[in-house]
Amino acid sequence: MSLSPEDDFSAAEYALGTLDPGERAAIAARRQREPELDEAIRAWEERLSPLAEAVPPIEPPRDYLAEIEARIHAPAPTLAAPNETVVALRSRLARWRAAAIGATGLAAMLAIGVVFREATRETAPHEFVAVLQKSADSPAFAVTVNLDTRELTVRPVSAPAPSGKSYELWIIDAKLGAPRSLGVIDPADVTRGDKLAAFDPAVVKDATYAVTVEPKGGSPDGKPSGAPVFVGKLIPVGP
Amino acid sequence: MNVGPPTPTEASVTATAAELAGLLRRVAARDSAAFAMLYKQTRAKLYGVVARILTKGDLSGEVLQEVFVRIWERAGDYDVDKGSPIAWMATIARNRALDEIRRVRPVSLEDMPEGFEPAAEEVDPLGARDRSERLSALMKCLQTLDEEKRDVVLLAYYRGFTREALAKRMQRPVPTIKTWLRRGLAQLRDCLS
Repeated sequence: MSLSPEDDFSAAEYALGTLDPGERAAIAARRQREPELDEAIRAWEERLSPLAEAVPPIEPPRDYLAEIEARIHAPAPTLAAPNETVVALRSRLARWRAAAIGATGLAAMLAIGVVFREATRETAPHEFVAVLQKSADSPAFAVTVNLDTRELTVRPVSAPAPSGKSYELWIIDAKLGAPRSLGVIDPADVTRGDKLAAFDPAVVKDATYAVTVEPKGGSPDGKPSGAPVFVGKLIPVGP
Repeated sequence: MNVGPPTPTEASVTATAAELAGLLRRVAARDSAAFAMLYKQTRAKLYGVVARILTKGDLSGEVLQEVFVRIWERAGDYDVDKGSPIAWMATIARNRALDEIRRVRPVSLEDMPEGFEPAAEEVDPLGARDRSERLSALMKCLQTLDEEKRDVVLLAYYRGFTREALAKRMQRPVPTIKTWLRRGLAQLRDCLS
């Protein structure tokens, strides 16, 4: 296996469950594209799984069988749900839609963003966008990145202003080690920045973007003070 | 594990690995009766896995339902060469519980219940009866680890603790925990191969 010791340790920690939410999201995204990492996670799950045999059973508070069977035999809700979500998101995003992205691109982007899948495209795109959200129906910020200029634009969608605090944006990627700050972002207006110029385009494209709540003016020590409140990954947009 | 009179909980662990594997095969062939039986045989075990990590009853019940839906969907993927049926199902349950507790949400840190123990007992794999061959091999390797390294691995596995939560629990800085995990896991991997 040509996986680096660092990546094998990440796989082990993913399987064991010791990664924090941002790191876990980053590894979950990477395993979709990196078969060796995926393989290593499975191997670790298999190594550790006999431990489950020793777990003392706890009787559930009630019987769930009927509900489970209803879910199993229900028509697949996954087909309808994203569409409904997209419709809801569209109206919420009306303000943002005025921005340079066409309606078709936006709908496609949201549909993809909702199910966290990456789009495959024939031409190498230059514009990328991420919807940072805490759940699929509550987008908070839209992050646009031009990969050529590494210019970063953050548009608030429905981010409630944190009273007496600031939102700070972070780029998270295993290659970077700790999360790196991309600066404080405005919950009420567009924030533009050039901090991404310092990063490798491949890292910029694949990283996880996360927002934390920090003391006014940003994290005092350059590290996130708590777990992210909104998170997302970039997907390509437009031709 | 208590040694009281037989209860549904006790009954739920009596199915052998071979019986569970047979049920999984039938479930893969969309046999609803086999699925109901599999649920009865494994619900308490899988609830034990999920509830130790999530610690909130309502959330654990919701996750348990999703786990069984996944088991229904993926029963055909079970490979007897890769472990016991219950280990395979527990991996699905653990992953679902971990995804739930690591889901990014507005107050995820405050959400973490402090000190709420769903079951007063800690899991003691060393005391487990009826160890499978795989569990025996893993325990042999775990016993070669220094105590603190073994503790962090087991606490993470059974309670779903992050490095940070482990650091609090062990009253050591996070980098120390990371070093323990790194060395402990590498040692386990080498010992098992």
